Amino acid sequence: MTPTVSASGLCLRYGGTRALDDVSLRLTQGVTGLLGPNGAGKTTLLRVLATAVPADQGAFTVLGQDPGTARGRQEVRRRLGYLPQTPGFHPDFTAFEFVDYVAILKELTDRGARHREVRRVLDEVDLSDVRGKRIKKLSGGMRQRVALAAALVGDPGFLVLDEPTVGLDPEQRMRFRELIARAGEGRTVLLSTHQTEDVAMLCHRVVVMAAGAVRFDGTPAELTARAAGRVWSSTERDPGAKAGWRTGLGAFRNVGDPPPGADLLEPTLEDGYLLTLDGAGTEVAV
Amino acid sequence: MTAIMEAAPPVTSAQPRQSWAAVVALAGFEGRRLLLRVPVLLALAVYAFWIVWHTRDSFDGFPALQDADRSTQGAPLLVALAVMVCVNQSVLRSRRRDTERHFAVLVLQPGRRTAAHVLSVLPATAVVAACVAVQFTWEALKPGAIGTGSPGELLVGPLSVLLFGAIGVLVARLAPSAVAVPLMVVFFLFLFVFGASPALSDDWTRWLYPVVGESSANILPSDLLGRPAAWHALYLAGLALSVALLAVLIGGARKGVAGTALAGALALTVVGGVGQAAGLSDETAAARVRASVTPEKEQTCVERGRSTYCAFPEWTPRVATWAGVVDHVQSLSGGTAKGQQLLVRQRIEARYGLDSDAAVFPLSTPHQVTVGTAWGGNRVPEFSVGVASVLIAGNEKAVGEMCDGRMVTVMWTALAWESDPVAALRRVRLDDSVTGSATVLAPTESLSMTAGQTEVVRQLLEQPRDAVAAKVKARWAELTDPKVTTGRAAQLLGVAVPKGADKCDG
Repeated sequence: MTPTVSASGLCLRYGGTRALDDVSLRLTQGVTGLLGPNGAGKTTLLRVLATAVPADQGAFTVLGQDPGTARGRQEVRRRLGYLPQTPGFHPDFTAFEFVDYVAILKELTDRGARHREVRRVLDEVDLSDVRGKRIKKLSGGMRQRVALAAALVGDPGFLVLDEPTVGLDPEQRMRFRELIARAGEGRTVLLSTHQTEDVAMLCHRVVVMAAGAVRFDGTPAELTARAAGRVWSSTERDPGAKAGWRTGLGAFRNVGDPPPGADLLEPTLEDGYLLTLDGAGTEVAV
Repeated sequence: MTAIMEAAPPVTSAQPRQSWAAVVALAGFEGRRLLLRVPVLLALAVYAFWIVWHTRDSFDGFPALQDADRSTQGAPLLVALAVMVCVNQSVLRSRRRDTERHFAVLVLQPGRRTAAHVLSVLPATAVVAACVAVQFTWEALKPGAIGTGSPGELLVGPLSVLLFGAIGVLVARLAPSAVAVPLMVVFFLFLFVFGASPALSDDWTRWLYPVVGESSANILPSDLLGRPAAWHALYLAGLALSVALLAVLIGGARKGVAGTALAGALALTVVGGVGQAAGLSDETAAARVRASVTPEKEQTCVERGRSTYCAFPEWTPRVATWAGVVDHVQSLSGGTAKGQQLLVRQRIEARYGLDSDAAVFPLSTPHQVTVGTAWGGNRVPEFSVGVASVLIAGNEKAVGEMCDGRMVTVMWTALAWESDPVAALRRVRLDDSVTGSATVLAPTESLSMTAGQTEVVRQLLEQPRDAVAAKVKARWAELTDPKVTTGRAAQLLGVAVPKGADKCDG
């Protein structure tokens, strides 16, 4: 399958900090999760791929276009949907006006077609009923859906979502998952998140970053498999465990290198993620 | 019945998109929002109210359109300031609301977004242009309208809105602070209110200011105005374009195209600025002298009834109105005055331009009456006094020295034909009263009324006109004799003789 995004050797420094360190990846159709602790470089990678900032080194193509050239960058932007972390809004605009405004900035110039498209994406994120409401009167979850609608307008081939479920309550998060899953049908979505459940439920692939570098690139099952045989139960916290916590049932769930004869448990994607970070020299805090 | 709803197909990137079409679409979006902003709506409402309030009674119903065009220039500044504030806030909106990170990766580039903000001022400019057109058309449609307006003068209001809007965008790009433009508004209001504007100076620098009003009482023929209206409009258009292009350039437009356009706009500004600073042409100065000293060479004369009326070409439609006043006065006169042939000539003092309020000197030529360029309101009884004075005293110069009973006849014949003669008496007197001594205004030299004369005239004006007219006509010879006293005139006309009626202390 032709990759939507193909990047190799991306490097970017902010002062003395190496925000991206030789990042290479290929993204194909479907939802790819991007996991990593704070400061791992997730947002920086997303901003580079979304053409917001250029990389110092390396090369990449998006939808066959080279964003390194002005023309290529414009072409990428025509087919890009971007939902930034903590997106800003114009509170006096209605939901319709805001998405319409973004649609104009995406150069959808035919007024009739544009308005149809705005209605379509608002319908897609279940905001048809409130499209005439001012954004300042919408709840946080609704605002986030307005931002998603703005990212979806123009039917982008590549959708970049930077922690879209942060701050949402569980119900809203579930709803958002549905929307992201729907958005991933027929296009490439790169989803940055701290929520391993989101990745487990939505993504066909997962990339784990730490300290600006890619530490894992594979399927969620492969990431989970990294913890196979390395999760066990005990009555006390095992001092040899990389991480351990008391579960609701009273027993301790330990992750790391189990002692002989340990009571092994079925690993989760989160276990695999924690062990991947541990291998990267990143502190595992539980 | 089952309804099958089909989702609309998405608008994809395969559809043709054009950046400049997007600029126009964004300008339309921002333009609509700008027009609906509270400060702009308020300013437009005040402006519209002012147009109705001002134009309803402006120029006393007899506008000279070469002056009416200038009266459209000041009020749009209020809208211009509101537009400047609101367009500035629109440009700063993305920064204030932190949407810039998102919009930076959208297709439409900042330079073009800036261009769209500049273009978003056009709907407000168009609304002001429509208001200017309504105000001027209203003046032009008044039955007493004469003269011609200048397109250059009429463009000043809309161009001011465009200029201030462009300034709002430029300031947002230069100093992206929410307080910069409000501070500028305070500064401009300070200029307007405290009169520190260069528009008040006399030299060429006043033309650097958008509105150079020159609200003068001296109404001149269009060709004698000497205002560089077309040059000033060119200067303003060039300046607005320069500011707009500078904003677009700073906003991130491609330097080659925007830079070349900016150079062209600056050239327009300079051409307009030099043109407007050139001062009065020799031809206009000479024409002003001719119109002031030998108006007969410039005027068209028309016979109406017994008299001849000579007016500058633009004023010939007013001849019938003047003739009506002359007929009224003569119909109340007796003796030879009733059938006296008069020469009513329009005279102006144009040599010092609009800034001058120099009076026209009285003529000693017999039976010649001066009429000014303004008409309506108080100018009507003033002209009527002028006509009556010449019919009774013989010429305008003789009227100034008149301090006898003839004043009673002059004032009564001048005012008795009015629908409200006592009100007309009040209006024609400098102190707006109907008691005591006062100066009476006339087209050339003013007259003096003593307290006694005022009392007699007021009593006569309060009586039925026909009854007094019969007495006036019957005793015309004595009433117009230079030796008649005010007391004697009162006696002849059957009203009480006030104490000290003949004391000429006016």
